[in-house]
Parts: sequence; C-alpha cells; structure tokens
Amino acid sequence: MQSFLSRLRQFFLRPSALSLSAVVAIGMLSGLIFWGGFNTGMEATNSLAFCTGCHEMRDTVFQEYKETIHYKNRSGVRAICSDCHVPKDWMHKFVRKVQASQELYGKFVSGVVDTPEKFETHRMELAQHVWATMKASDSRECRNCHSWEAMDPHKQQPRARAMMEKGQKEGKTCIDCHKGISHLLPKEYTGDED
Amino acid sequence: MDKPMKARPIARLAAPALAAAALLSAMPAFGADAAAAQALARDNKCFTCHAIDKDKAAPAWKAVAAKYKGNKDAVAILTKHLTTGPKVKLGGSEMDHPVLNSKSPDDTKNFVEWLLSL
Repeated sequence: MQSFLSRLRQFFLRPSALSLSAVVAIGMLSGLIFWGGFNTGMEATNSLAFCTGCHEMRDTVFQEYKETIHYKNRSGVRAICSDCHVPKDWMHKFVRKVQASQELYGKFVSGVVDTPEKFETHRMELAQHVWATMKASDSRECRNCHSWEAMDPHKQQPRARAMMEKGQKEGKTCIDCHKGISHLLPKEYTGDED
Repeated sequence: MDKPMKARPIARLAAPALAAAALLSAMPAFGADAAAAQALARDNKCFTCHAIDKDKAAPAWKAVAAKYKGNKDAVAILTKHLTTGPKVKLGGSEMDHPVLNSKSPDDTKNFVEWLLSL
C-alpha cells in the first residue's frame, strides 16, 4: 500500500493530461474563488448587522452605543463595531477572527452572557480585555480615524485642548482617557484600574 | 406621700433620639447611596481624571475626603465646586472644572456625601 506521502508526491510530479496553460488557468481560477470567498465571508462578519445579529450584543452594548457620538453625530460619519474592535490590516484581522472562535464557544456552548444580567456580571472582565488589547496596540483601531496630526487644538474646547496636550506630552494612548466612549462603564470601575 | 412623677416614655426617648439625629446629621456619609453616586460619576465621566484610591490627572477622591474630614462646611464647599465650574489646575494648565450634570440637587448631595464617606 502506497504511503500518503508517496501518493502526494505522485500527485504533484505526475504529468497532467491537461495542457500546462489549462492547469495554470484552473489553478488561478480556484485560487481566486477560494481567496475571494474567504475574504468576502470574513468581511461579512464585520458588518453591523452581523455583530448585532445575536441578542447578546443587540440587547446590551448595541443599545448603549446607539446613544453615543460614534453612532450618530452632526457630520454623519459612523464607526460600527468592527471599526473599533477589528483591525483593518489583513494579518491582525485574521488573528482577531481566529480569537473570535472563543466568542462562538460562549454563544453556542457555554452561554456565558446569554442574558443581560449575565452580561452585567461579566461586563468588567469583558471591558478589561478590550481595554488591554487597545492599550497594547496603542489604540490602533481608534487611530484608523483619529490622529494627533489631524487634530486642530484651536477647534477644541479649552478643557479638551488642555487634556489632549497633557495626554500627548505624557505619551498616553486614546483608551487611557476614553474608556466608556461608546459603551457604559462597568459598575465596578473606579478609575483606579488605569 | 406621692411617688415622684416619672417622665413619660416618649419624653425619656426624646433626648437620646435627638442626640442620635444630631450625630447622624454630622456624618455626611450616613445613608449615602454609593451605587447611585458612582453611577452619576460614571455618567459624568469623572473617572477620566479622578479615581477613588489613586491620584490621576486630578486628586483621588479618598484624598479629597481626607482633606475635608472634620470640616463642617465640607458638603457646601464640594457642592459649590461641582455646581459652579470653578477654575482648577490640571497638569500645569488652568481649566474650568466640569459642572456635575445631575437630575436633582439631591443626587448631587448624595454624591458629595458618598465622596466624603470614602
């Protein structure tokens, strides 16, 4: 009986009955379909409709987010869940999607936050994960839209200007001061966690 | 001979009750709703600059409570601080302290009393 490796070797080395150009064309087409399908599927999981498709998100953090400036504002620019919680570049995005498999376990197996009450019990823990991730990446997802360079301090309120200047001078990152910008702060949060 | 007249039960209770009331009113923290006070702090984003235990951009609230310990005007001073937006020093800059956005003076009072209880 042929071993798997020798069969694999034969598969790659045995000349095909098809012409070389046909093999290349089929390979390119298959690659295109696979890669395109994979990316399209991954992008579909970035939509607001997908994120709020489960009641765990829809009944809790989505309702809070709808009251914030990232959902509705004077200029009509909206940052949806994935804008803040999923990296834009492919590699970091792929890693984040793999990590999301743990969320699927929570959804379909353990039901860890399947009621608003259970969500509240875990809100601090969940928030701390997000804060730690944002801190570690220097608030990378915030910086997809916001940057020091693009800010005009003269158009900021005096208090905001003073705080932003202080933050920049001290090398702070967005999440250091802007916790709870789009969701309610956990009731256990006392400011000492920073 | 008539027996000495005993004080009425209600009168006998009045003095300690009044003393207890006076004592409790001198303790600003008594009865403060900590959960409501902290919810108000979260809603007002106080924790951006303040924390309960440690100094951040602004002083820790426990340090504020310690500063005003025993000060009979503490509630009035802090209420004014939170409702009038005075100038404060923060990181070398002077700026207006945000005015506490609360639904009623009672909520503000509760917050101040809770803070002083820390």
